Amino acid sequence: MSDGNWYVLGAILVLAVCSLLTRTGYMVFGDYLPLPEGLRRALRYAPAAALVGIIVPEVLPWQPGSLPSLDAKAVAAAIAILVYWKTRNSLYVIIGGMLAFWLIRPWWPF
Amino acid sequence: MALSRVLAKWPESRYRLQFMLGLRDAVPALIATGTWGLVTGIAIVKSGLSETMATLMTLLVYAGSAQLTALPLIKDAVPLWLIFAAGLVVNIRFLIFGAALQPFFRHLSWPKRLGVGFFSTDIGFVLFMGRYGEAKRRPDPRHLWYFLGIIAPGWLVWNACSIVGIFLAGAIPTSWSLEFAAVLALLSVVIPLVSTRPVAFCILVAASVAWVGQPLPLRLGLAAAVVSGIAAGVISERLSKDAKRAS
Repeated sequence: MSDGNWYVLGAILVLAVCSLLTRTGYMVFGDYLPLPEGLRRALRYAPAAALVGIIVPEVLPWQPGSLPSLDAKAVAAAIAILVYWKTRNSLYVIIGGMLAFWLIRPWWPF
Repeated sequence: MALSRVLAKWPESRYRLQFMLGLRDAVPALIATGTWGLVTGIAIVKSGLSETMATLMTLLVYAGSAQLTALPLIKDAVPLWLIFAAGLVVNIRFLIFGAALQPFFRHLSWPKRLGVGFFSTDIGFVLFMGRYGEAKRRPDPRHLWYFLGIIAPGWLVWNACSIVGIFLAGAIPTSWSLEFAAVLALLSVVIPLVSTRPVAFCILVAASVAWVGQPLPLRLGLAAAVVSGIAAGVISERLSKDAKRAS
């Protein structure tokens, strides 16, 4: 194995340790680290916040030093939200948003 | 044998029902998982890892955003401790999820808790808390089987699609922008969550912070979005309680 592959293997192993620590840490040792009820209730908001935190930079990207521009993805995402509002179907959100993106992109001025 | 014990219990209809219920709730999210897996598999190989290393990464790390975050760092050959730190920050949400899930599974033996923890996912957490978050009766065996119904198919779909992506990477045109389908899939998980005012407020604040904080390194903008979104949800919850008390 080349040096490059050893380095990649090292990176994979440290990432695997990250996964193990964060995912199982509380599950295994949680009884020794009691959480107050208030904090536990607060954590119910974590997943929605995290998912939004991943989506927003993908849909509305901007770079320091240049003006933010409206991406075709933002319009497609807005259409996808409308699709959910009309149909209440998660699958249509993906299909509708993707079709909107493919249709809008060739015409998008920015 | 653990497996034969599991199979002996399986025909008991209440376990099977809970597993199937979890699976049914997870189906839309599984499409998200599959798309993300495919896109992640493609991205790993496109960033220069060999197919063997990419497969190993998928199976051992099992954390899409941490994997995607690490790719540019690996490309730049940064020290391993920085990859470790970046992985921890991106994965910190699992610690939060683990803390919220632990009361439901604390009665299990530690190897089982280790398993439930390692194979838990964002989507598993979201769906589980949606259905059983307010449950008062604990321990309840239904909780484990419902959770397994979400995370077991999730593991299979994620890894199968990742490996398909890894070995198809060369053949899929970049112009399809499949990565956007993954974003839409996540969006389809978030929108149904907006059912109460505190959640709506939480999402509004988290979105604003994530937008402003996106140039920050190590995905710290994401961490800030999580913390401020939680704060917004809690404050909004308090305010609506106070308003009720006053009226």
